[in-house]
Amino acid sequence: MLGATIAGIALGFYPGIAKARPLWWRLVAIGAVTIAVVLSLFPPIAGTVTDAVIASRADSTKAVPVLLKRDGPVLAGQALTLRDARDQRVLISVLCTPEVAAAIASTEAPFVLNVQRDGSDARFTSASIGAVNPAITLPYIMGLEERARIIFFHVPMSWVATVAYLLSMIFAVMFLRKRTMEYDTISMAAASVGTLYAILATVTGAVWAKFNWGSFWNWDPRESSIFLLLLIYAAYFVLRSTIDDAQRRARLSAAYSIVAFVTVPFLVFVLPRMLPGLHPGSADDVNAGPLLSPKSDAINTTKQILFGLSLFSFTILYFWLVNLRVRTENVYLSITDREANQ
Amino acid sequence: MIEFLTANAGYVVLVCALLIWLGIGIYLWRVEKRLLELEQRISR
Repeated sequence: MLGATIAGIALGFYPGIAKARPLWWRLVAIGAVTIAVVLSLFPPIAGTVTDAVIASRADSTKAVPVLLKRDGPVLAGQALTLRDARDQRVLISVLCTPEVAAAIASTEAPFVLNVQRDGSDARFTSASIGAVNPAITLPYIMGLEERARIIFFHVPMSWVATVAYLLSMIFAVMFLRKRTMEYDTISMAAASVGTLYAILATVTGAVWAKFNWGSFWNWDPRESSIFLLLLIYAAYFVLRSTIDDAQRRARLSAAYSIVAFVTVPFLVFVLPRMLPGLHPGSADDVNAGPLLSPKSDAINTTKQILFGLSLFSFTILYFWLVNLRVRTENVYLSITDREANQ
Repeated sequence: MIEFLTANAGYVVLVCALLIWLGIGIYLWRVEKRLLELEQRISR
């Protein structure tokens, strides 16, 4: 997580936060986000036989996608003997529909089979087959399933918003030290694009919460803290819009940006972990803890790599947006200065 | 049609997400190009 962020920030600052992006940089940004979107949504979700047993015990009607391999001949009308492609010691017997059996008979490669437990932990039925020989698969997480993909969009948005507010504060300090107006523009641009990311994190989280927790908004501590954060930074933009004198506006908003950032570590890292809530990492979270903790087994290597790629691509996209915002403001200031001097 | 979309919901989401992103990407590319032209005109 830290590596992807640092790589994104390093590339984001090249060749200068207010300088035009070279062609290769723009191609890297567009390519990285495209790859991140494809790799976040394309790989099928496939669990192990153990996942299928646990999930089917909780809900016997649930079909669980499992990565399996054929282990023996396919005989019409008979249950097939299939092997767990990840844990090769596990063999199960699956009674398939003729169409699924025909699809399995035509391949030697592993395949994703949607199975339902049939009375015992070694006997299943299946009515549909998923991807055959998938290059990569994402782990099956009971209760989340396809909705687990939110981690590739929601978490990077939220994390980049935090980095954005840090950058805004750093450039605010630099403005107060050097009194260069460009630092004020960068501080404003960093906060405005950061707020856009925070809004996107809130919206993606709300849509996900509707399907997983039952309503769009639950006043969970993390939801409440992002709401407070959005209010604090909304006040920053209101403050900027109310002052006409550029120097005074820059000075006051720099001071406000520094004070506003003091709340960010508390609202993002401390408060949601102190109180019980619905998000992973809350005080009463006894299952996985923080989803990205290296000690946690809730996230596997493939998912960590894809998450890193997603984080990197959304970070450089952030810097591109900040760059465009800064340069647009600079062009606007140049034109108004020129008109004032004429 | 509805059966096809339901059975391939994951791919439908992927195509929609890619179309939205490509739209944003093209828009950013055009803004970058026009901004560069404006900056060059101002510096002249």
